[in-house]
Amino acid sequence: MSSLETIQRMMSEQFDLKPETLAPDAQLETLGLDSLSVIEFMFNIEDEFKIKLPEQRIEIKTIQDISDVVDRMIAEQQGGA
Amino acid sequence: MGCKVVVTGLGIVSPVGSGQGEFFENLMAGRSGIRRVDMPHSEKLSIHIAGTVPDFDPTAHFTKMQLTSMERFSQMALVAARQAVQDAEMQLEEAERTRAGVMMGTGMGGAGTLEEGYLEVLAKGEPRVRPLSVVLGMNNAAASHISMEFGLRGPNITYSTACSSSAIAIGEAARQIRHGYADVMLAGGSEALLTVGVMKAWEALRTLALEDPAGPGASCKPFSRQRNGLVLGEGACVLVLENAERAAARGARIYAELAGYACASDASHISKPDAAGQARAIRAALADACMQPADIGYINAHGTATLVGDVQETRAIKEVFGSRAPNIPVSSTKSMHGHLMGATGAVEFMTSILAMHHKAVPPTINLNEPDPECDLDYVPNVGRHDVPLGAVMSNSFAFGGSNAVLIARRYTS
Repeated sequence: MSSLETIQRMMSEQFDLKPETLAPDAQLETLGLDSLSVIEFMFNIEDEFKIKLPEQRIEIKTIQDISDVVDRMIAEQQGGA
Repeated sequence: MGCKVVVTGLGIVSPVGSGQGEFFENLMAGRSGIRRVDMPHSEKLSIHIAGTVPDFDPTAHFTKMQLTSMERFSQMALVAARQAVQDAEMQLEEAERTRAGVMMGTGMGGAGTLEEGYLEVLAKGEPRVRPLSVVLGMNNAAASHISMEFGLRGPNITYSTACSSSAIAIGEAARQIRHGYADVMLAGGSEALLTVGVMKAWEALRTLALEDPAGPGASCKPFSRQRNGLVLGEGACVLVLENAERAAARGARIYAELAGYACASDASHISKPDAAGQARAIRAALADACMQPADIGYINAHGTATLVGDVQETRAIKEVFGSRAPNIPVSSTKSMHGHLMGATGAVEFMTSILAMHHKAVPPTINLNEPDPECDLDYVPNVGRHDVPLGAVMSNSFAFGGSNAVLIARRYTS
């Protein structure tokens, strides 16, 4: 199962954003998330999915980008569970 | 001499109320904002009282997005700043913004953020802290949020001189205007240090007041024979300072002229207050205002209710004001709002201005039996109305020996 839906729900809750604005290809910047908000969001992502994101900066521009990273980390770190 | 500086807007979030109206009304009524604290781990405290702002609801003022990067001391500062700007009915034209700035004081800045980080890593054994810990917790966060919200592109400076931080922020901001570097300054202070770690540190110093059997509100007793220490407090206070000509030209309501400011260091002891240094600061502020001691009608004392501090301040006032000292009302409103550390100078200077504005002198509460060594008129327990005041003074004497004094007088063009 893709992480996308969970990420959309988390984003809606954390930043008070309407779910219908959170399309997979929605640009984070357009949604009002600056680089700091994204870092803070990824911190909660680590907790939610029990993964460890790589230390180096990851290029993230859309919600789908986040989901892709999360799915990849889940596959790598939890053997695709 | 430079330009005259006037105060045209007032904003406050404090243990005795938010907004200058509610704040001053509660002070005049002798209502205390000192309460029992209740937070995670507070069972570890020996002393459980503080000047708290329990009804401050960040979500009423900010979006979740904004709150991600703004901690309590910035939140309260920004709310106070919004009140002050609204009170001043001030609109800044685009070109004016480069000549408008902000100066804030804080003692411990983002103490809560720092402590949360320690808890995560050292107590819970988590491998990481919140990513925004640095920008949440840095001491200049509050001033920076104010500068961003109002587009103030002039100076943006934060002072941290313990208890005199915000008095110095206000004084230095006034100098920016007086010396022609700026036309408008937002100035004040903010403090949100009521964390278990910070309170434990103050406990260890043995300077905190014990909870009075009659209740938290009866615990802070400046100038009383029964006084046994200070009560920590939280909150924020911001003033709009403006070039007098600019304020007059736009028909602004002018609360007062910021007439004098000076600072002087004890240069003697890291924590013990010293009447000599305090008296030097008072004299220098009077000289700065081109005023005589006889011109001052009310003094808002630093009056922390520590054993040594209240005696030293009484001596300093007597040294400067001489035989007239007993005739000047001197009150410590810390008896009600507590010691707001980096915000306290601003809160008390604002109190002095409101006293002049309303012709009303707030009391020192919990003063039933004065210390024989504290023999001035401390306005015990009951505020006074119909007291015409031409000029008022606020003392801020900090740990580290950094003393600051601010003087306001009734504005005449």
